[in-house]
Amino acid sequence: MASPALVVAARIFRQLTRDRRTMALIFIVPLVVMTLIGLSFPDTGVLQYIAPALIATLALFFSFLLTGISFLRERSQGTLERLMASPVSPSDIVVGYLGGFFIFALVQTLIILLYTIYVLDVSYRGDLWQIFVFQVVVIIGAVNLGIFISTFARNEFQMVQFIPLIIIPQIFLSGVIWPVEQMPDYLQWLAHALPLTYAVRGLRDIMLSGQSLIDVWLELAVMVGFAVIVSVLAAVTLRRSA
Amino acid sequence: MPDENTTPVAVEADKVSFSYERLKALDELSLQVPKGTSFGLLGPNGAGKTTLIRVLVGLLKPKRGSVRILGQPLSRKTAHLLGYMPQLHSLYTELTVAQNVEFFARIYGMGKDAPKRVEETVRLVDMWPRRNDAVQKLSGGMRQRVSLACAMVHNPPLLFLDEPTVGLDPELRVSFWQYFHELTRQGTTIVISSHTMDDAAHCDRLAFMRDGKVIAIGSPNDLKHATGCRDATLEDAFLHFVRRGRGENG
Repeated sequence: MASPALVVAARIFRQLTRDRRTMALIFIVPLVVMTLIGLSFPDTGVLQYIAPALIATLALFFSFLLTGISFLRERSQGTLERLMASPVSPSDIVVGYLGGFFIFALVQTLIILLYTIYVLDVSYRGDLWQIFVFQVVVIIGAVNLGIFISTFARNEFQMVQFIPLIIIPQIFLSGVIWPVEQMPDYLQWLAHALPLTYAVRGLRDIMLSGQSLIDVWLELAVMVGFAVIVSVLAAVTLRRSA
Repeated sequence: MPDENTTPVAVEADKVSFSYERLKALDELSLQVPKGTSFGLLGPNGAGKTTLIRVLVGLLKPKRGSVRILGQPLSRKTAHLLGYMPQLHSLYTELTVAQNVEFFARIYGMGKDAPKRVEETVRLVDMWPRRNDAVQKLSGGMRQRVSLACAMVHNPPLLFLDEPTVGLDPELRVSFWQYFHELTRQGTTIVISSHTMDDAAHCDRLAFMRDGKVIAIGSPNDLKHATGCRDATLEDAFLHFVRRGRGENG
């Protein structure tokens, strides 16, 4: 007998793969975005610096959005209520969602990563597998952040409003565009409270400086901690939101 | 403590209260549902029927009072004893009829038996010819049938159905009720919320609800007889108890 989390994950996989338009968008959107980025940065030096940050940011953004909207639908369709009345625990639902969406978030992340390296010709010094492992941790956090934040939205419109609140400030404050060290002190404090700061720093250190996962243990630990905290918060708030 | 096989009572709510912020939805409500009966919760919109069902299936925690299901306090362990059909169709619209029912079979822990039971249940609700159609292609009545199949695929001894006949055509409504009677004959207890007197007449027992309280409880005939009028309908009976409640209060 399959575990409830596995049953939930399999259902999500089946549900998404039956929706051809969603499937097409999952593949096309990262390609379009990366092509636009490539065209916007003809200077490879700038692209070289910004690429690791973009990889982390886009993974966070796509995973957050995909999971957040899907989970919101689960609630507005009433299927979450049905699940919550079943013997499945909130943690099974969160783990199942993570499993189901992880595959699609991973596909998007791989497209972004491989496009950056092989099409935009951004060179990297670290191991590809270490970049990949770090990205996996970023995705796990982002998927659970999407589930958690969707608790506070009652419809898709409200969920979309969370993007400027949750994602955009991180893009400006986490060292994606300019270094955190050049920002005023109070913004630096804020930056150090944002998970994307650690994702960007960790990926840059691996990709640009050739460091290993052990070298970026602090950034990795913060991202793992973030993933664990939002997973627990998602499971705890699930019952309230059903 | 009586176990689920020996207790004669399927559902026991004792002085249950629940509020949505300042709005009191259930007010020290008590009732007992005997095993193997169809039990109707009847009342106008806002009477507290859906809130009561959501409390009884464990979705809402009562502010006061207690709930026992088949002799056991309500918990995640008792969830497998229940089947729940919410007011919304609550289906995965991209998935097919069979995939929806199979998902809920597996969620309730059915392993090897799942495919056989899915076929049985989908046939029972007369959706077998459409089993491979996506739910989004189905009419409201068909979705209602699939929703019922999802609620009972794991063969629970206790079914909670929130307005299951809303939007059904008369023919389908009759077939739903034939099936509910068949289930109660087999020992399943069914708790149904409704605001139509037509549904009420089919129930073995009824609880009239108003303002979060049970204002009367009994068989449809007992409730009609209580009016003192030989030709009273259930609607008359409901109004009789509403007026009597007002009289007592004021």
